[in-house]
Amino acid sequence: MALIEVKDLAKAFDGKAVLKGINLELSEGQAKVVMGTSGCGKSTLLRCLNLLLQPTSGRIIFKGEDITRPGVDIRKVRADIGFVFQHFALYRHLTVEENVTLGLRKLKKMKAKEAVQKASHELERLGMIEHRGKYPAQLSGGQKQRAAIVRALAMDPAVLFLDEPTSALDPEMSREVVTVINKLFLENVTMLCVTHDPFLAKYISDSIIFMDEGMVVAEDIAERLFYDHADARIKHFFMSVIDHR
Amino acid sequence: MDAFIQDLIAYWPQILAGLKNTVLLMVIMSVTGLIGGVGVFYLTLSNHKAARRWTNGFISFFIGTPLIVHLFLMYYGLPELGIRLSAFTVAVIGFTLNVSAYNARYLATAYNGLDKTELEAARAQGFTERETFRLIIVPQVMRMSVPSLTNQAIQNLKDTSVAFLIQYHDFFAQMQEIASANFQFFKAYVTAGLVYLALISIIVLAARRLEKRIALPGLAT
Amino acid sequence: MTFGNILIILAEGAGYTVLVTLASISAGLAVGLSLAVFSTLRWKAVRLFLAAYTYVFRGIPVLVLLFILFFGLPGIGIRISPFVSMVATLGLVSGAYLAEVFRGAMAAVDGDEILAAEATGLNRWEIFFYIIMPQMFRMSIPGMINEFTSVLKYTPFAYTVGIPEIMKEAMSLAALTLRGLEIYLAVGILYFLIYKLFVMFFMTLEKRFRIPGLASK
Repeated sequence: MALIEVKDLAKAFDGKAVLKGINLELSEGQAKVVMGTSGCGKSTLLRCLNLLLQPTSGRIIFKGEDITRPGVDIRKVRADIGFVFQHFALYRHLTVEENVTLGLRKLKKMKAKEAVQKASHELERLGMIEHRGKYPAQLSGGQKQRAAIVRALAMDPAVLFLDEPTSALDPEMSREVVTVINKLFLENVTMLCVTHDPFLAKYISDSIIFMDEGMVVAEDIAERLFYDHADARIKHFFMSVIDHR
Repeated sequence: MDAFIQDLIAYWPQILAGLKNTVLLMVIMSVTGLIGGVGVFYLTLSNHKAARRWTNGFISFFIGTPLIVHLFLMYYGLPELGIRLSAFTVAVIGFTLNVSAYNARYLATAYNGLDKTELEAARAQGFTERETFRLIIVPQVMRMSVPSLTNQAIQNLKDTSVAFLIQYHDFFAQMQEIASANFQFFKAYVTAGLVYLALISIIVLAARRLEKRIALPGLAT
Repeated sequence: MTFGNILIILAEGAGYTVLVTLASISAGLAVGLSLAVFSTLRWKAVRLFLAAYTYVFRGIPVLVLLFILFFGLPGIGIRISPFVSMVATLGLVSGAYLAEVFRGAMAAVDGDEILAAEATGLNRWEIFFYIIMPQMFRMSIPGMINEFTSVLKYTPFAYTVGIPEIMKEAMSLAALTLRGLEIYLAVGILYFLIYKLFVMFFMTLEKRFRIPGLASK
């Protein structure tokens, strides 16, 4: 049974349909990337899956439970989904360590000592331990995103969602973050990542879902999507973002 | 000059009592006004349109009308409804409402400068709105508002002198009495002015130290 | 006597309220501008005077200052009319705040523009009038609106020196009819209306003089 099953998910804003019936599946240990043209709805899709946005119709089955039905415990679901934002969204008034322990202490009800131990372990894992006492303003973009990933992972979520994790970073820092996410990929962390960066997509996913105008067009491995794809939209998209030799 | 200073010494116990009343009022209204301000600010973020509208109306009204009107309304108006409150109670309630409105306005202004994606991240982590308010919003807006809030504290001290107009026996009222007794109006009022300046200096110094202590990298006041 | 009657009687005092407010604002502007201009001079004595002035007049309660001028000065031989006492008090105090607003706005003028003006050959006064002041004014508008409404809210103190504005009318009426609740409610509404009108007036003024790209702080 898949960890996440999405059936005919639709979302409209003020009558305008952004998602027009999405079907996808994500199993434990899998990592998938969602790519597509601007405005295809990929970010909206991600936000519907952890109910930051309310879907207009369709069903989302998370860990066997239908989370689109009324009366579902949204907090519990969200605590089980780690979310990494494009612009990091670290809490400005807290140090890196405090950013990580806040959720542990208040949501997982851990004691302070426990939380710090857990945070140290996770920070160590992603090479951020030396920055534990720094404030977000004192970090580079790459460090901020890595801290944000630690914050999400420390909660031991069932799946990690990443929304354009490298889009706000310059090439050097982007590589820093791709390396980290690749490490997670190799450790079989379950991930769903939205991006328009094909380099990232290739190195952190088992397969790529391509979206256009609110619908899934194809799902395949990177090599088969990137080069000379039969579908004109896909071919055109990758021609413009990958430099072909 | 000697006569005046002799009078000051003679009236010293009363002056002290007056000072106590002034400082007491100022401290109380600063605390209740701060708590009230956070509460009113919380209401400005409400999901209910009506609650937001009423709250903003409250803030608008108290910022747009003179403080003395609030005090007179309660002191001379409430007895008609059978509610007779002491000058002190009227002062505390009136000032609290007034200060709450101003503080809420300062906090709301700081809120506009927040990075809203932090709030989205908190939601995504699973925090409720109340938790987000307590853990993410309040620590940041309070820090950002420290200059405005400390300015308000200074204003509070100056405003206590208005309470004498509703017969609250504060320091200024006491100096009035001394002046009427020995007709040294000029000396009495100038002395009063100097005392207020001295008290304000204390607040200013405390404010500067506070600003230094709460400063964080990346969170400008 | 209906509520409406009450409002009308009180509105008679509104004329004095507005008069005192406008006069005080003018005085405050004069003081504030002068202080701001003085602050551009490099003399240490001027700097000290400004710091002292600002400290004293932002620290002293308005009521205390008013009493010093109206009740205190006669004691040393200087007698001022109630109106002048009120206007002087509010002028001196608001002048201190406005000076700070103007100084902040002046500092926000791009130094490069001043250099460019100097390079063109304009002298200090011309630079001040043609480059600094126009920008400074526009950037000071929120601060000025704030201060002007503050002045409006201090005018009720005028009753203590006998000026027949809204508050004094209200107190006479209350003593006569003992209907304090309605009366002071009406007073609040009246002041709120005047406040709103003031703000609207200055906002339209601001719109008229707005320049794209010159945002007020």
